[in-house]
Amino acid sequence: MALTTHTTSSGFVLPSIHAAKPFFTQQPNPATQKTVTENWTRLILSYARHKKLFTLRIEDATDDKSEWDEVLRNPRIQRRLRPSHLAAILSSMVAANQAMYEPPNQTSSVLLFWRSPEEWAQVLYDWANSTGHLNTIMTFYEIVEPPVPSPLEGLPLPILRKAIAVLTKSARAQIIAVADGEGVRFLPGVPGR
Amino acid sequence: MSLKRYTISVDGTIPVPALLYDDEVLLISQEGVGIYDGPQKAPHHQSGTLHATTHRLFYIDNAHSFSRSFSLDLAHVGRTEYYAGLFTSSAKITLYLNDPPPRPLTSIVADRAESSLDSPAASYQVEFWECEVCSNRNPIGLTSSAAFVCALCGVPRASMKAPITIPSRQTAAGSYSLSKSLPSSSVNLAKLRLSSSPSPSPPVPEVPAPPATGEVACIACTFLNSPLLQECEICGTPLPRKPSLAPPPRLPAKSAPASRSATPALDSDDDDDDNPDKRMIRLSFRKGGDKAFYNVLRRTLLGRAWESKAVAAAVEAPSSSSSSSRPLGRSGINGILRSVETTAATAQSNMEDALADLEALMVKWKDMVKLAQDLNERLTAASTPAPGISLVPGAPLGGATTLSTPAVEPEEATFIRSSLAQLGLQMANAPVTQDMVRDERKWFEELAKELAGVLEGSGAKGGEGMMRKRGIVALDEVWGGWNRARGVALIPPATFLQVLPHLPSFTLPPIRMRTFAASGLSVLHTPPYGSATFASRLVSILTLVGPRTTVEVAQEEDLPIGLTEEMVHEVEMAGEICRDDGGSGVSIFSSPGAPWAASEGGEVHWWVNIFRGYVWDGQE
Repeated sequence: MALTTHTTSSGFVLPSIHAAKPFFTQQPNPATQKTVTENWTRLILSYARHKKLFTLRIEDATDDKSEWDEVLRNPRIQRRLRPSHLAAILSSMVAANQAMYEPPNQTSSVLLFWRSPEEWAQVLYDWANSTGHLNTIMTFYEIVEPPVPSPLEGLPLPILRKAIAVLTKSARAQIIAVADGEGVRFLPGVPGR
Repeated sequence: MSLKRYTISVDGTIPVPALLYDDEVLLISQEGVGIYDGPQKAPHHQSGTLHATTHRLFYIDNAHSFSRSFSLDLAHVGRTEYYAGLFTSSAKITLYLNDPPPRPLTSIVADRAESSLDSPAASYQVEFWECEVCSNRNPIGLTSSAAFVCALCGVPRASMKAPITIPSRQTAAGSYSLSKSLPSSSVNLAKLRLSSSPSPSPPVPEVPAPPATGEVACIACTFLNSPLLQECEICGTPLPRKPSLAPPPRLPAKSAPASRSATPALDSDDDDDDNPDKRMIRLSFRKGGDKAFYNVLRRTLLGRAWESKAVAAAVEAPSSSSSSSRPLGRSGINGILRSVETTAATAQSNMEDALADLEALMVKWKDMVKLAQDLNERLTAASTPAPGISLVPGAPLGGATTLSTPAVEPEEATFIRSSLAQLGLQMANAPVTQDMVRDERKWFEELAKELAGVLEGSGAKGGEGMMRKRGIVALDEVWGGWNRARGVALIPPATFLQVLPHLPSFTLPPIRMRTFAASGLSVLHTPPYGSATFASRLVSILTLVGPRTTVEVAQEEDLPIGLTEEMVHEVEMAGEICRDDGGSGVSIFSSPGAPWAASEGGEVHWWVNIFRGYVWDGQE
């Protein structure tokens, strides 16, 4: 049985494994299940990157209108990912620092790190550098809702904070309290670093 | 009539205790009793005292105790009936009597010759017999076993000369003559009855009298001749004379040959009594005491003290020289009952003999165990130095001294120890495990060989083995089948499990045991059903024909579904296959509120493990 990749209407290329029915079943064999989870994680993250999605909720597994529908459901083989299975996948992603529960203290909704905080930090710094915002104080709102489109558009604040924290550690940014919330000042880093 | 036929008159002037046999016990006495002979009152026995003993019933007349007293053997009593009395009618006990006994000789004698023996007093001089060894005069009690053994020297009473001149009288009566070889008991009986001593007549059933017009069978041609003829009508052989015709069926009257032929001839009025309803005696209790008396009487009748004596006598009697000629044959139910009792008594004594050994063993078991222990220790002590010596034969350590004790051969030691083990005397801590294991291994190997025969079908017998057609069988089924095949000496499960490891070496192809981790189910299987073989076969099936459900796999493998499930799960755990539990297709709409677990309606399909070696081919 030759499994083939499938390109969705949104232009995303689904892997061939997505056409295999067992992929949608939680496998009792832990070794097999590990592979399944790895592949799901990869699929979710790549789809999130493709569609610039940051949030994944358990409910998406049962919601046909969800923007995740293309991935969590395969109508061609009459299979969909079960919520319990999705929950297991999410928890393993959180454990692998590929996602975080948001809001915290619950397990039904996550923020996906389709870029790791370090990668986001680099993107953020590069953006600030390229747009000439070094040494100026910017509010978080200005970063995630820029007047000109940017790769940081729509970035959830928790991820932004994490990225800034990474920059702060390497002395390339500084958190500054401003009147209407929090602000950040990007510092020109040492070229050698 | 019953009174006359069943009772024996006694001298009532003698106190009752003096009339008893050695082993007879007086149980209860009641005065003011009248006797009914059958339905009518017995005119001469209307006021007296009744004594019940273990064997007899005594009636001692108040007025004429010497002449009108009598005794009745309880052995004659078939059943009893109690009547409580009403108004002026006093309470009564009715004794229904068995078949009429042979007529007591007293009456014969009284009828035929007015002899002095008529008087009961005349009897007592023969109440003793003299031992021919020590000349002790032993009292006669028929019911007493002592009657056959001298009380002083213990010598059994041998067949001896009849002490009284019965024979002459008997021959005069035209009956069988008493031979000298008659067994002692018969002689005793004859004598006793002759002397009308208070001895019980045995409960001998009377054979119905032959037809009066009995024809005479010719001794040569068996033609039945008219009794009037002297010679056979057919062959002319002289016919036996009539008196000697005394019909053989009448023979068996156990021990009273003397009275045999006299009875029918004399008792013309016997027919009146043959009606069983009339064969009864009533005891009328005019002064009360009936209830207590009846209870005692009934218990005594149930106890049947006289019968045990009769059995004892029967057991002892064969020691006498002429036992074979003794007319043991009794007829009717009584005879059957008697023979059953005799058999039971013999069996009982045999059993006691046999069990005596067992009891002795039970007493001795501790000693036996000690002995076994001792033997074990000695064997160990004897065999331990032996290897040391053999290892250093030339050592100058004075091995000769130890060698002087003859070393026990290992084979012998093993034999002794295994014998002890088979006797169940194996010591738990005895250091013979090595030897015993050697034997046990042999035993297990033999068992394994046998089991292999059961499983594969022994070629010689052509029997169908359990696993001839099936590659895999659950352990319980094998165990049950094996034990059914054995029939005896069943194998306990523990032994069965110990045998299994030996099985592969005796089976071709080797049959091995396999336990499923998930359920703990154990099976015996041929190589095709080993886990690796089965897994590869399953994978190739799935690869060739696509996903399969458990049921489909079971059909293909011709295995029970439960068993297939176990095996497939094992393959899954090995990571060779993966599952698709279906049921969550898009067509099934599951609302967020609905329990999603409920949508697990589909059957599990098994897939080859597609994840193994999968390389990501989707979008990065």
